[in-house]
Amino acid sequence: MKKILSFIRSMTFGMILLIIVMALSLAGSLIPQQEAAMTYVNAYGSSTAMLLISLGFTDIFHTWYFYALEILLCLNLLLCSILRFPKTRKAAERLKHQAQEAEPDRPLYIGDHQKIASYLSAHHFTRTETENGAPVYTKHLAGFYGSFLTHLSILLVLLFGSLVLMTPQVTDQTVMPGEVLTLSDGTTVTCESFHIQDATGKLDYASVLTAASPDGKQKKTQEIRVNEPLRFGSYKIYQQTYGTAGRIQITNTENGAVDVQYLTDPCFLSIDQRNGIYFEALYPGYFREEDGSFTLITSTDRSYPDPVYRIQSITDGMSAAVLAFPGEEIHMGEITFTFLSPAEYPGLRIKHVAAWLYGGLYFSFGLMVAALYLCFFTVPVAVKVTEEGYVICSPKNQEGLEIALEAEKAAVHG
Amino acid sequence: MDICFFAALIIYFIASVLQFVASAMKKDGLHKIARLVFLTGFALHTAYTVWRGIVAGRLPLANQFEFASGFAWAIVMLGFILYSRLKQEWVMTAAMPMAFLILSYAAFQPMQIKDIMPALRSTWFALHIGSAAFSYASFAIAAGLGVGYLAQLKKGKSPDDARMKQMDYMGYRIICLGFLLLTVVIFSGAIWAEQAWSSWWSWDPKETWALITWIFYAVYLHQRLRLKWQGKRTAWLAIIAFILVIFTFAGVNLLLPGLHSYATT
Repeated sequence: MKKILSFIRSMTFGMILLIIVMALSLAGSLIPQQEAAMTYVNAYGSSTAMLLISLGFTDIFHTWYFYALEILLCLNLLLCSILRFPKTRKAAERLKHQAQEAEPDRPLYIGDHQKIASYLSAHHFTRTETENGAPVYTKHLAGFYGSFLTHLSILLVLLFGSLVLMTPQVTDQTVMPGEVLTLSDGTTVTCESFHIQDATGKLDYASVLTAASPDGKQKKTQEIRVNEPLRFGSYKIYQQTYGTAGRIQITNTENGAVDVQYLTDPCFLSIDQRNGIYFEALYPGYFREEDGSFTLITSTDRSYPDPVYRIQSITDGMSAAVLAFPGEEIHMGEITFTFLSPAEYPGLRIKHVAAWLYGGLYFSFGLMVAALYLCFFTVPVAVKVTEEGYVICSPKNQEGLEIALEAEKAAVHG
Repeated sequence: MDICFFAALIIYFIASVLQFVASAMKKDGLHKIARLVFLTGFALHTAYTVWRGIVAGRLPLANQFEFASGFAWAIVMLGFILYSRLKQEWVMTAAMPMAFLILSYAAFQPMQIKDIMPALRSTWFALHIGSAAFSYASFAIAAGLGVGYLAQLKKGKSPDDARMKQMDYMGYRIICLGFLLLTVVIFSGAIWAEQAWSSWWSWDPKETWALITWIFYAVYLHQRLRLKWQGKRTAWLAIIAFILVIFTFAGVNLLLPGLHSYATT
């Protein structure tokens, strides 16, 4: 058991895990991920495709063995971080002690030690008085913790990162301008407007949304676009996609009631379930053939230059295919259907995730950058200065400091 | 102003040739001339970059051409900073050809200035792309130093030679800088991706290759710090790692379409 633990916390094991993660990531980037089985059969042939699918190489980042690797890596980081901490603390203490005990190996003339001491103080060394009277100057002792903090922060990034990826409830929702969405906890989101171009005519999909808490006490209105989601409580609402919907005005000529409906999916608009219109689809354009018939355009660049509605007009249960253009009206008894110009609407992504998880993840990011800086760019050093001489103690080469202190000495004596 | 760009490209080439000749002939005067020529190229390159930024009204790092140009600019900048500290010619010998090669790649990319697409309009743009340029530049110089180290070994220089040791050590130090910056690239990219696409990690090819590169350099650092790998072995690792960097930078855009595909245009 001790041998197993010792192996799990070893650098060799960590390196093996990293190399396997690297190899699997490489495979995952070269083999298309999460495609339909036929895509792999067409690309690689049936036997290779079956092998890739059975090994999980078609969704490699969500396989059990990839998760297992992450867990083992976390375990390795946890054990090596925890075990490293006491050693790290001891090393920091030992450096001071080592400097206290060390005999000066660089001689100083009388009075030089003050020059050296003031140089060290000016360069942000911390002076510590010792029992034997000679002060020890230390700097960058935090550098000892760089490696420990780096490993700890990688562990935190993996933990918080996995939680942030796995825990959010994400829903994609289309919403028509003016429509109100009610979320599961009663929070409401109103789409005030949506537009595709900015003031200068450049493409810029943006929706103006108003979010309100269930009791209506808290409200926030914001224009959302890519890079600028709306944050409201633990919700984040993104401008995800957009679409074009048909619009139809339904007027009751008897009582004057008017209603406007958006048409996205096929639907039957009727009062008595026998008479009405069945909306099939909205087409972006058409060709008029020589014989007067229409050919509808189905593929476009998502613009609708000549929109046309394909509907079934249903009277007493009998249907007839009809093409309707914006501005046209169909009368059925007291009801008038008026086809309007299509309208654009946003597709929103609504994400519900605990804010503290993001806080934890971003803290881990910051910690890791700071820890790497400590690790690479701060070298702990302790200098003992006596009237007779000084000695530099550091786990790494301090050639630069040696040269600087010798230069100070030389300056004193011209 | 495109003339400044092409002039800088030609001047980088001339400086590289002069530097190699100076190194081969051990002529200090020629080294000085090479540096001055290189500095002239850098001034032109800087002028072109500033002009492009002003005309575009943004940081000129928004597409493959601009990033490659920024990458080369960062190599020259880092080269001069390192040289000013170390006063060692091998720094410039590594930086000059690398800057020329990367700028040559830029010259083959479409150069026209285009409006930035909405997805790139973010406060994270400067940090993410800027740190990527300097990170890649660090790795490029480290790889250049690796090539230089191996070439010197082949010429019979001893690995115990003080200059060889310094070259090896600087290769490691500059990889430390690049690694730190690559970490910033990945994290700033993750935060940006969460704002733009709602997920901080999507296993997009660019993200995946950035991770592969990061892991490779992490392995390098562990081998160096813990197993005391030095000299020839770490020089080779620096060169292989830079091939991964180049694939992450250019290869992924060309061969593996994903969320970062806009970077190709």
